[in-house]
Amino acid sequence: MIQVEDLTKDYGTVVAVRGVSFSVGKGEIVGFLGPNGAGKSTTLRVLAGFLGATSGHVRIAGHDIAKAPLAARRALGYMPESAPLYPEMRVSEYLMFRARLKEVPRTERLRAIGGAMDRAGVSHMAGTVIAHLSKGYRQRVALADALVSNPPLLILDEPTAGLDPNQIRDVRALVKDLGSDRTVLLSTHILSEVEATCERAIVIDRGRLVAEGTIEELRARQRSTGLELRVRDPHAAAEAALTAVFGVSVRSGVTEETAPDRRRLRLGLDAALDADTVTEAVVQALTAAGIGIHALVPEQASLEQVFSALTRHEPSAAPEQSAETA
Amino acid sequence: MNGFLAVYRRELLSLWVTPLAWVLLTVFLLLQGAIFYSIITHFASMSEASVDTGPLQAYFGQESIFLLMTLLLVCPALTMRVFAEERRSGTIETLLTAPVTPASVVLGKYSALLTTYALIWAPTLLYVVVLRKTGVVDWGVVGASYLGLLGIGAAYLSLGTLMSAMTKSQLVALLLTIFVEFGSFILGVGEYIFEPGVFRDICAHVSMMSQMEDFSKGILDLRRVVFDGSVTLLGLFVTTRVVDSWRWG
Repeated sequence: MIQVEDLTKDYGTVVAVRGVSFSVGKGEIVGFLGPNGAGKSTTLRVLAGFLGATSGHVRIAGHDIAKAPLAARRALGYMPESAPLYPEMRVSEYLMFRARLKEVPRTERLRAIGGAMDRAGVSHMAGTVIAHLSKGYRQRVALADALVSNPPLLILDEPTAGLDPNQIRDVRALVKDLGSDRTVLLSTHILSEVEATCERAIVIDRGRLVAEGTIEELRARQRSTGLELRVRDPHAAAEAALTAVFGVSVRSGVTEETAPDRRRLRLGLDAALDADTVTEAVVQALTAAGIGIHALVPEQASLEQVFSALTRHEPSAAPEQSAETA
Repeated sequence: MNGFLAVYRRELLSLWVTPLAWVLLTVFLLLQGAIFYSIITHFASMSEASVDTGPLQAYFGQESIFLLMTLLLVCPALTMRVFAEERRSGTIETLLTAPVTPASVVLGKYSALLTTYALIWAPTLLYVVVLRKTGVVDWGVVGASYLGLLGIGAAYLSLGTLMSAMTKSQLVALLLTIFVEFGSFILGVGEYIFEPGVFRDICAHVSMMSQMEDFSKGILDLRRVVFDGSVTLLGLFVTTRVVDSWRWG
């Protein structure tokens, strides 16, 4: 549905997006991820045809946006960041205007508006003046606007920004629902949003594409750098045994309060070594010392960790991680 | 042209559901009423009327400076928000990502402004009806006069639309429009100031007052029509280019 080749966009001397290439297939829900100011909105604005690319090619539903801008725009429903609307219009008036603008045939307009309002959950607000709507409802009206021409592709720029937790959950459910029969590209800087709604993510940082893949693939990019160990160890001998193993450092050791002979250890693994080999050495060392192993869990990288590792700006900073997994 | 009609209807709705058009209509009619009343009382007190002048000619022609002053007030106020507001609020993004061309957006908005301008003038037709009760009305004069006003309005609104597209601030758009339109008005006054020569001819050519004086006598000078039309088209063309240029900002 979307093919982006070597897209660059600069604002005078500031380069907002540089050499980004990616594609989004039919029926996918893709998260466009990046910290604030990474170039997410700029990229989406180029895709939606609001901004022209400085160089590179963008094809929307097979139409080059530079050569056939109207055909490309007909194929997509775009919701800009912060959902701008005309405050003086009623919801139904606004959607009627948008339906006319998007060339919905006259006989189908009322049905299209009704359907869009139903899906976005604003049917009961049809007669309300937009100025009187809350932020959450404005967001939904903007979403209904994106849906009104029933486009095969939706581009949503931060659809949950500024909403309360309940509204965020509603919008995510709606996006998932919409994704069942069309392609959705949504931008966000909230990782849990991508994990909750998207099958695939594209990560950009400072105008460059830094990673692309399914959520699992992204997670796998971050190698396991820690082990969590539960052992039977009445004499606290495990730590001494482990310090002898090359490439392992004991981060913490806690004796369980209910069972004084059990300890919970967290180990850091040297990132330069193969994690599997080191794990094997750890097990051998503990067995040789006569310590019973109850559990051995490799720490799994959360998407947060992947994200911060990908978008960290100082390469020297060591990935000091928390134990929480996603 | 689908986009044109949709933009036209929305713009017209926005103009008339917000107080702006109504406030302008009220102020405009109060001013016109005052001008017309003073002209009527002036003619009523005259002992003998000359053949080639009457209240209508005075209103649209010799005394058209008052009428043009109100236009210098009304037209910039009408056009100031047309693009500036959309850019400030961000709705321009939804508008320009719909399958519409910049030309149909500009034309749709401009046509709505011109329609509003015509609607604001419409009640002044009552003045003609009032005069008809007491004397003979030359409908040619009335038609030509309104055509002249439409031409001036078309040019002023086109310039105002352009100014509104140049800035995100309605106030700056208002001031720029007043500056440009008042400037062209003052240039027209030059006709009465300068010695005969090329410069005076230029001033006479662009003078809105002379245009109204000609049209109020029923003289349809094609040069005037061409001038108004060129200013209008140039303004709209440049506005379209400005709207197009936002993609490259």
